[in-house]
This record gives sequence, structure tokens and C-alpha cells, in this order.
Amino acid sequence: MSSTTTADHHDEHHDHGPQKGLARWLFTTNHKDIGTLYLWFSLIMFFVGGFMALIIRAELFQPGMQIVDPMFFNSMTTMHAIVMIFGVVMPAFVGLANWMIPMMIGAPDMALPRMNNWSFWIMPFAFAMMLGTLFTDSGGPAGGRTLYPPLVLQGGDSFAFVVFAIHFMGISSVMGSINIVATIFNMRAPTMPLMKMPLFVWTWLITAYLLIATIPVFAGAVTMLLTDRYFGTSFFNAAGGGDPVMFQHIFWFFGHPEVYILILPAFGVVSQIIPTFARKPLFGYASMVYAT
Amino acid sequence: MIKFKPVAVVALIGCLLTLLPMRLMAGWDELNMTQGVTQVSQDVYEIHMMIFWVCCVIGVGVFGVMFYSIWRHRKSQGAVAATFHESTTVEIIWTAIPFAILIGVAIPSAKTLIAMEDTSNAELTIKVTGYQWKWHYEYLDSGVNFFSTLHHDHNAARQLGADVDLSQFEHYLKEVDNPLVVPVGVKIRFLHTANDVIHSWWVSDLALKKDAIPGFINENWTVINEPGVYRGKCAELCGRDHGFMPVVVRAVSQDDFASWLQQQHAATDSPKSRQAVSTTSSNDVQPQRTAVN
Repeated sequence: MSSTTTADHHDEHHDHGPQKGLARWLFTTNHKDIGTLYLWFSLIMFFVGGFMALIIRAELFQPGMQIVDPMFFNSMTTMHAIVMIFGVVMPAFVGLANWMIPMMIGAPDMALPRMNNWSFWIMPFAFAMMLGTLFTDSGGPAGGRTLYPPLVLQGGDSFAFVVFAIHFMGISSVMGSINIVATIFNMRAPTMPLMKMPLFVWTWLITAYLLIATIPVFAGAVTMLLTDRYFGTSFFNAAGGGDPVMFQHIFWFFGHPEVYILILPAFGVVSQIIPTFARKPLFGYASMVYAT
Repeated sequence: MIKFKPVAVVALIGCLLTLLPMRLMAGWDELNMTQGVTQVSQDVYEIHMMIFWVCCVIGVGVFGVMFYSIWRHRKSQGAVAATFHESTTVEIIWTAIPFAILIGVAIPSAKTLIAMEDTSNAELTIKVTGYQWKWHYEYLDSGVNFFSTLHHDHNAARQLGADVDLSQFEHYLKEVDNPLVVPVGVKIRFLHTANDVIHSWWVSDLALKKDAIPGFINENWTVINEPGVYRGKCAELCGRDHGFMPVVVRAVSQDDFASWLQQQHAATDSPKSRQAVSTTSSNDVQPQRTAVN
């Protein structure tokens, strides 16, 4: 006891360690804590999305209708896709990036630790908003994960919640990406030029740019859906001079890069693990970087 | 304990694999993509099989080298990791080979795609309109038109759910009240559009699939070689009963088609039988439950 008191007063700036309990996780700016939060969130969403998949497969076990209403079935397929893409795969890789990138490039933490905290804590609210629509009278979104109009505009008011949820997920992803880009460009160890970075860092750098380039386009597309539905515009309504196919083009401007967003970090993981366990350097590092 | 030489094990597995096809081939046609009954569907099938075998060769080659390397150079056999790590020659080779393979499969694919788009010189034009959740067919040359809806008995069975013996239906949920009747050996042009949301008219035996978009008209064509009944579905999520708006195409001889068309005309001309015709199409339509909204 007495030794602690003596130790305390000559070091005003010593580390108090993490806060205790919930506050630690709510207010953390530690990249490993935030990485852990992302990974736990991803795992929980994996079970939520997986449960939806089980409902889908149980219904498809036999032809015809057995277990659920077709509208609920459609809303399961829709939500399953959105949960798995935005709630499982993307946060899982952001979690890995948070954990690994600072350590791989010799940085003490991410470049923007408070934004890091914020970009995680938006996600639970976004998903609560989207999943909560399942418990409303009009049910969850049932227009398919690609949200094609005019079908998606027929849904109940869950549609507005989904659009706002997508906006929040998008803001979270873009902030996470900005953080990763800033970290990689500004916080590398002095002896690490770009072409010496681990491949996982390279794949995440490209992924982050793809996210920054495509998520705002997707956000714009769902906003146009929102104004078509509630404010009388006709972006995608042929009767008003619009074009339903234009939505598909705008959606896939996001959707196609999105598949690379989902797979590139995984390629990076593989390119770290195989050389490590094969005990030899990665073959063709430079070509791998250019291919990324 | 009996020790097998690796070569002997591989040979044994090889022998067993050659025996497998006899049993497996029985269900092969069910499992594989349909060859269909049109020239285009035959072409599509051949491209599919060609690419399938190309993939098989690539798969066996890549995984063969990979598994062999893992097995041959394992640590317990005293393998020491090599340290070489760059080779421009190898990079160029394994970029050029996939490029050549892609060009190789792109040429026949492009030929077939171009053929699919050529709707010129059609002898018969049918407008197909997607509705939630039924199809409307209109023979533009003769004015005959009708709705095609999930067959009433099938609809009743699926609404009642588990209490119905489904084995009484040969094509459960794939039967309609009024099938589309078309002649064989005639080039038919289809015009696709929709009334409410996007649908997609899909019949795999005819290698036909086209989005039906409200406000826009897409087209495709076919020449059916064999008479028969060909079944399809809506292939674009269109709401609650997306899974319950089947497509049935009955391909008949040209003479039978002419007399069928005559019959339809007679039916529409006399008011009494028009009633009969329209009841089959409208009574079987389930009450329009607008999805929501």
C-alpha cells in the first residue's frame, strides 16, 4: 500500500491501464480493443445471418410452402445478404485490419483513434435499425438484397429504415477506410517503403480506396430510391421518364467493386499465412502487389 | 499392418473411379444443364460443356501440382524450404496462358450471344407481359391474348400446406391454367415487358431468359425443334408470389397450332365462349393481394 503512494507522486503521466467494464469498450481508442469489438460484432452477426439462412433452407426443404409466409421468406433472403455482407464479412476484415495493420507497419495505433471508435459504434445502431424492422407491422425489407426498383418501392416503411441503415453502414465503412489509408501512409516505420509493406497491408490499402470510391455511389442510389418513394421523384420510374435499369447500373458500380472489397483482404491473409508456414518468402511479391 | 505403396493406392482409387460413372451416369441428365430443344440451347450446352472440361483440366493441373508439392516436400521427409522468389518469365507465362484460355472461350460465347440477339425475320411475334404474379401472352399477328396463372389445384394445395398429398401432382407448382401454345419449326420473336415490377421470363429448355422491365421492351427469339411441354419460372424476384408464377410452353405441330389459333378466335368471337375463356383465366387468379402499400 505505502509503496504505491510513493510511486504515484513522481510520475504524473503514467499509464492507468484501460478503463474497467463497459466504459472500456464504449470509449476505447485502442486499435486492438476496437479490432476485438469488430470481430465480436462480426461473429454475432454471423449467427444472426446464419439463422436467417437456416430459415430459408428449412422452407426450401420441400417444394411448396411449409414454414414461413413468402413475404417473410423474401425478407429473410434480403436481410441475410445485407447482414452477411455489411455485418459479417466487412467488419471481420476491418477488425483484422485494426488488429494487424498497426503491428505490421510498426505503428503504435491507428492514425485516427477516436474516429476508429466512432466508425465501430455506428454499426450496432445501423443494424439494430435494420433488424428492428422485422418486428414492425409491415415486416422487414423484402425486395431482394440488390434493392431493385420498382419492387423495393412496394415495401412497407421498413424501406426507409433500411436506407438509413445503409447510410450509416456506409459512413462507418468510409470512416474505417479513411483511417486505414491515413495509417498506412503516415505511420509506417521509417525503414518501410511501400514496396516492402506486408501484402495484407497492400490489399487493405486497395480495399480502402475501393470503399471510398464506391460506397458514396451506393449511398446516392439508395437516396434516389428514397426520394422516388417519399418525395415524388421519378429517377427509376419509367412512367415519370426515369429508368429502372439505371438503378441497376448505379448499384453494380458499387456491387462489382464490392466483391473485391470482400475478397482482397482475404487474399492478403492467405499471402501472409502460406509463406509463414511454408517457411519461405512469398513468390513474386511485386507482381502480387501490382495484381492487387 | 499392411503397407500400401502410394502408387498402388493411386491405381486402386483410379480403378474405383472408373467404375463410378456406371452408377452416376444414370442421373447425369437430371444433374447437368439441359441440352434443350433449340439450336441455341444446344450451342449453349456445348459451350457449357467445353468450359466445364477446360475447368476440369485446370483444376486437376493446379490442385495436382499443389497437393503433390505439399505431399512431396513435407517437413517430416526432411524437405528444406527453397528461397527463390521472383521470376519474370514465370509471371509472363502464367498471365499469358489464362489470357489465351479466356480468348478461346470468348469466341464461341460471343458467336452464340450474337445469334441470340438476332430477332430478324421472325414469323410469329408474341408479347409477354409480366404481372404480379402471372404472365400475359399476346399473339401480335392474330390478336389472341390471355393470362397464364398458376393452376388452380396447385394454388389451392400450396395455400393449404401440409394437409395435401402432393404426390397427386406430377408437376407440382409448375402447371398453369392456360399454357403458351407455339408452333415448332417457326422462328418466334418474344417481346418482353412488365406491368408492375421487373420480372424475368425463363424457359431453360429453350435457352430463353430475358428481363421484363416496366416501361421498356426487351426481345429474344427461338425456333423449337421438337413438340413437347417446356416449363420455366420467373427469374427475377418480383414480390410475394415470385415462386408461384410458372411458365408453361406447349410446342405443337404447325397444323395443330393453326387449329388452336382458330379455336381461340372462335372463342373470342362468340360472347358466350369468351365468358368461358375469361373465367378460366380470371377466376383462377388468386385475389390480388398487393404486397404491402
